Amino acid sequence: MLSTRDLVAGYDERTVLDGLDLDLPTDAFTVIVGPNACGKSTLLRTMARLLTPRRGTVLLDGTAIRDLPTREVARRLGVLPQSPLVPEGVTVADLVGRGRQPYQRWWRQWSSEDGAAVDQAMALADVTDLADRPVDSLSGGQRQRVWIAMTLAQDTDALLLDEPTTFLDLAHQVEVLDLLHRLRSERGRTVVAVLHDLNQAARYADHLVAMRAGAVVAAGPPREILTADLVRDVFGLACVVVPCPVTGAPLVVPANTGGNAPAPAVAGDHSPSRASVPDARPSTGDAANPLAGSHPSKGL
Amino acid sequence: MPAGPPGADGARLAGRSLLRIGPVSLLIRRRAVLVAAVLTVLLLLAVVLSLSLGTPYVAPADVLRALSGAGTPYDLVVFDLRLPRVVLAAVAGAAFGVAGTLIQSVARNPLASPDVIGITQGAGLAATVALTSGMAAVLVAPTALVGGLLAAVLLFALGARHGLAAQRFVLAGVAVAFGFRALTEVVMLTADPIDGLRAQIWLIGTLAGKGWTEAAWIAGTLLVLLPVLAWAGWALNSTALDDDTARGVGLRPVARRIGLAGAGVLVAAMVTAQVGAVDFVALVAPQVARRLVRAERPPLVCAALLGALLLVLADLAGRRLFAPTQLPAGVLTAAIGGPYLIFLLLRGRRRSS
Repeated sequence: MLSTRDLVAGYDERTVLDGLDLDLPTDAFTVIVGPNACGKSTLLRTMARLLTPRRGTVLLDGTAIRDLPTREVARRLGVLPQSPLVPEGVTVADLVGRGRQPYQRWWRQWSSEDGAAVDQAMALADVTDLADRPVDSLSGGQRQRVWIAMTLAQDTDALLLDEPTTFLDLAHQVEVLDLLHRLRSERGRTVVAVLHDLNQAARYADHLVAMRAGAVVAAGPPREILTADLVRDVFGLACVVVPCPVTGAPLVVPANTGGNAPAPAVAGDHSPSRASVPDARPSTGDAANPLAGSHPSKGL
Repeated sequence: MPAGPPGADGARLAGRSLLRIGPVSLLIRRRAVLVAAVLTVLLLLAVVLSLSLGTPYVAPADVLRALSGAGTPYDLVVFDLRLPRVVLAAVAGAAFGVAGTLIQSVARNPLASPDVIGITQGAGLAATVALTSGMAAVLVAPTALVGGLLAAVLLFALGARHGLAAQRFVLAGVAVAFGFRALTEVVMLTADPIDGLRAQIWLIGTLAGKGWTEAAWIAGTLLVLLPVLAWAGWALNSTALDDDTARGVGLRPVARRIGLAGAGVLVAAMVTAQVGAVDFVALVAPQVARRLVRAERPPLVCAALLGALLLVLADLAGRRLFAPTQLPAGVLTAAIGGPYLIFLLLRGRRRSS
């Protein structure tokens, strides 16, 4: 559904993406990861036509997105930018209603479909109880759900989110990711998100795209592509990759103990391939936990 | 799926009602309707009062009789002497309210007004040149209009590089304002003192000696722009969204800003050219209207009505307070509007703390 062909994009003099070709699967939860300034946000913004590419094309269902009227795109593709500005004094219901913009005109400001879509979006994002509250009075987690509700009200098949979990505490991060997962699994939406946390990416993504220096290094299901070699390639970080004790998804654990907890079981083994790790260590979960505690995964 | 809990229209529409006329459906703020009704009544009262006070005094009942065309001995005073000026005050005030609302929304700044972004100074420079170079009196307003539009072109050219983004727009405007003000002072200082004084009075803004012609020009501009203003009433809703979010929901924020700011500076240039820099109205009317309506952005219609009311009252006060000495309306708008804005700011702070 969303593809890029020979995409070149950047800001001012700086070229961030240089000839990027990418196909994102339909009806999947795709997560784009990579180190800071690797171009993942630039890619998302270009795909969402928030940034005009210097060369190349973004294809939405096979049509070049720049040839489509922006209102038409907004009915097929929802976008949540990285840190949207909260309009002062606007209520939750009002802001969610702004998502209906692509269906409205100044002489047709509201329809019953608009009402139904707003109700459904607020219910889905669990913000119905907040409908009358001003958005600027809400907590970060609530706000983020309101913004997601706004993009849901657009009633699009695809949803692009730029770091939707940044600035949220762990519980709220999980809440937002669970919501995105539900959108994919229960509503059949295509979800594409840029995330910072590799382990969350591995846990939630159907399709993982790892980027470095404006290029895609690997793309595929996390269980197939997320290896210690990949993490070293992409992030320059030595780590071990073990199966998550809860989901079995790959779990990235930094190998460097930082002089903190000298957990010998991990320290001795520096670059195991993912496949070899589970066999090498019988009590993976126990070994990983103290490390995870001293190195919050956000640091990745 | 679980149907949304009783999402009453009240919650969804946030204090607004849906007005359906055939295929047209408009969202109207209920409180805005109330405020507009009250302002209209007050405006009519102020107009009658303004027509009645003065020398000679005409009783309000006689004013009404004269207006209804009954033919009274006061027809000359009411129709020929006072009505043109009162109508001009109302029309110019409304235009300032509209211009201020549009400019403040694009600038995302409650302090932005034609005075801050240089339109007034552009018109002022041109008017000063006209008044000090012995140009025919009828040419002063057209010249001022050209000056105001020139300032607008400069403002757009300077602000264009960043898509007329709020901060850039204000900065460009401040630069334009300073440039034109400096030039105006140069012209003033080198001019004949009498001409300089005339220019000074023009700059403060006065309705004295003006009437139907000026009112017709301003009203004509508003009428021509009416379709744009009807669109603006809706488009203003989205100026508070950042550009990425706006594009995400299918808007074209830069085009929208150019349209809104373009209409705003056109109205501002025209009204300033006709009555001078009475533009404190443009600063205060949108903000006071916004607080009265309790909306998150200035409401267009209420700001226009409030601007009209303010200027009619200011002109009346300027005529009567120190009669027979007349004060320019520009001085009085600041005197009336300023304290009220301060009052609203203080009240707003108390409520939010």
